[in-house]
Amino acid sequence: MPKCKKSEGQAIDYASKLLPPEEEEPFEQHLKNCQDCSEAVASYTAVFDLTDKAQAELAVPEVALKNIEMNVYKRLAATQEQTLFSRIRTYFASVGSPFGWYKTAAVSSIAIALIAAAVLIGKPFQSEDTLRLTETQSADARIEQYRQQGIQRNLEEALITQHLRNDAWETESQLNRMKEQAQGTNWTQIADKHLESLQSGNSTLQ
Amino acid sequence: MDKLIDDEMLVAQFQAGRQNAFDELMKRYKSKIFSYLLRSVRNYEDAEDITIEVFFKAYRALEGWQPKAKFSTWLYKIASNLAIDYHRAKARHPVYALDDAEIPEVHLVATDLHSDPERQLEEKERGLIIREAVDQLSPKQKAVFMLSRYEGMQLKEVAETLDMAEGTVKIHLHRAVKRLQTLLRPLWENNEI
Repeated sequence: MPKCKKSEGQAIDYASKLLPPEEEEPFEQHLKNCQDCSEAVASYTAVFDLTDKAQAELAVPEVALKNIEMNVYKRLAATQEQTLFSRIRTYFASVGSPFGWYKTAAVSSIAIALIAAAVLIGKPFQSEDTLRLTETQSADARIEQYRQQGIQRNLEEALITQHLRNDAWETESQLNRMKEQAQGTNWTQIADKHLESLQSGNSTLQ
Repeated sequence: MDKLIDDEMLVAQFQAGRQNAFDELMKRYKSKIFSYLLRSVRNYEDAEDITIEVFFKAYRALEGWQPKAKFSTWLYKIASNLAIDYHRAKARHPVYALDDAEIPEVHLVATDLHSDPERQLEEKERGLIIREAVDQLSPKQKAVFMLSRYEGMQLKEVAETLDMAEGTVKIHLHRAVKRLQTLLRPLWENNEI
């Protein structure tokens, strides 16, 4: 018995709910009388059920999402630094080539001239749109902002461990990690206060 | 920031110099993009790296972005291209790692006294087999399947995301489903579902 011509395309579309609305009812009528298509729809539906369930089991860990922004800005900041160096290199390469074997001397002279210009005028490359030094600062500021948020979050987690889970050992460990992360900021003093409070058994400090 | 502000408005704000608008866009999409990439590359660290790369590329290209398509479609396009590059690179230099073992899964921990560890293990193994079957699709079949099935995209959006004709998307999707049907048939024929 030849296989029904509808079974491949329409059955997949029907099972994946991609069949145009105007084709749905005629196809459902067809299904009542076509074993090939009914079996095909059942089979494709089983495929979707299996894959949907397997994919739903994949969970994105919350911890992975916490640092995405900071890492994006770190990457941007690093690239902007590279861009500055590469522009200087490109600039020298482009001015050096017309001088042929005088290249070295020409580049040295231009370098001296540029340094002098930098001292006298300041910001010699600022006119180039693509440098975006202000954005570099912005990226750095954002890295710091996300770092601070991360520290604050770790402190909150330590307090949750202390008050909800009553796990002093883990709290101390989390506070020490947070203190290490917070080096150079006022957060270290806050961590110290909580550690002191923890060691003295006083959990009233919030 | 107001959640009612649509993505395209945020892009316009970013283009006007408001950096916070990009933060909001990252906040809206980081989980979706990470999730999409995790399903595609099935490796936690690689998915994280590619997610960062997606937003990095988006940031750099956003200034000249024109709203010809939805922002989300454009973002998924970057993610899909990077995922396809990843799979191509991996095919050239295969690494035999137990990637799936690194991926945290829901339902792995016994949540009550009635849970059945043996059944959980079986389900975990079955999930692994199914995800490996999806991995056997070609990069384009896999991208089409993922976008239409798990990102809730219409075929038209999938076509825009992957720079394909809608008809081509449909062909890839049909091939993907038929391939999966062949690969997974033993699971329901052996009454394993």
